[in-house]
Amino acid sequence: MNSRTIPISVDPVQTVLDNGLKDLWYPVCPSGFVKDQPVSMKRMGRKLALWRDGAGQVHALEDHCPHRGAPLSQGVILGDRIACPYHGVEVRCDGMVTKVPGSPGCKLEGQHAAKAFHVKEAFGAIFIYNSDDYAKEPKPLVLPEELTSDAYSNFLCYAEWRSDYRYALDNVMDPMHGTFLHKQSHSMSEGDSKASFQVRETDNGFVFEKVGQRGINFDWTEWADTGCHWMRLEIPYPKTGGPGGNFAIVGCVTPINAELCAVFFWRCRKVSDWMRSTWRFLYRNRLEARHWAVLEQDRIMMEQMEPDANSRENLYQHDIGLVRLRRHLKHLAEEQVEASGS
Amino acid sequence: MSQERYLEPHQARTRMPTLFEDLLGDSIERAFGEGVTTLPELVAYLNRVGPSGERGEAWTEEGFQALMKRLGD
Ligand code: FES
Ligand SMILES: [Fe+2]
Repeated sequence: MNSRTIPISVDPVQTVLDNGLKDLWYPVCPSGFVKDQPVSMKRMGRKLALWRDGAGQVHALEDHCPHRGAPLSQGVILGDRIACPYHGVEVRCDGMVTKVPGSPGCKLEGQHAAKAFHVKEAFGAIFIYNSDDYAKEPKPLVLPEELTSDAYSNFLCYAEWRSDYRYALDNVMDPMHGTFLHKQSHSMSEGDSKASFQVRETDNGFVFEKVGQRGINFDWTEWADTGCHWMRLEIPYPKTGGPGGNFAIVGCVTPINAELCAVFFWRCRKVSDWMRSTWRFLYRNRLEARHWAVLEQDRIMMEQMEPDANSRENLYQHDIGLVRLRRHLKHLAEEQVEASGS
Repeated sequence: MSQERYLEPHQARTRMPTLFEDLLGDSIERAFGEGVTTLPELVAYLNRVGPSGERGEAWTEEGFQALMKRLGD
């Protein structure tokens, strides 16, 4: 092998894992990324074209015109349809070609020739259903109460990390790094630097937690599958954060390509009344910058990991959370490959 | 090859904070740090330690709540 050899994954299970499991909702970007012009973005190993219609509804097609592959995202929005810039072919949000202006009545008209995706907008983000079959009814998108309940308030933090998305998942499933990597942070300086962990099953996934320590540091992390893969954790706030519940993070990681991933961290707090608006004021004024500094420690660490670091590891007890998740995702990928009959 | 990617430390605010907001934030954090947990205590703390309201006025519970709503929500 010379250094120019590009490893090509031929294992279909690996391919599913590399691009993200199918039949799941993935957040792809903050809502504000899609305004009045179509946008192109790579997600889940695919190029997508996203746009809003006149009513503000977001639509997504593969950014590849069914005629000859020009980027639809360069085209013109016609409500729930988009006209390709190259020869004017019009494609509807469900993938059907509605008009071929250069050859009216040709057999491409009426065909579902473009790849379409179901879209939802929630909690400040745009979610795409990663499926090969638009006709298949998507699963409902269910997210945890920190986002859905009025008792909580949240801010989304979105970032793009130059790392395979699985390192970002591993990082969240590894609470012990809080004690070391974030030792100097505003919220994680307490707690035992030695701990044993256990896995506890939940209805939709599992919790990975420190035995006998809760509410002191980053002491537990949860992974769940509710039509979307998400993670949740809690970190105590210093007293200066004011009255209110712990600080919770709901996280999702979406693959972009092998070198890049999109991370979504909703920073949530159970606060009401004046405590809610005061927390929100402090978050805007100063807490966001402190949380960002902590997240930068994670990003820099993730970006410095060699792409194949996870093929040469010596894991120990702190790592059973991420081992458990890797195994589970691999198992899901195997099931999907089997079900697709390849 | 590196491509453009999004890394924006400030996603929640829509403009730079004002000096008044920074001073107020400092004072609120100090109050919480000293154990203040209720609105009357916080208003009393601000009236004792400062800063005073946006136009130099004394803090009231209503005034504080209205300002936080405007700046936070
Ligand atoms: S490539 Fe799109 S219309 Fe021809
Ligand atoms: Fe971290």
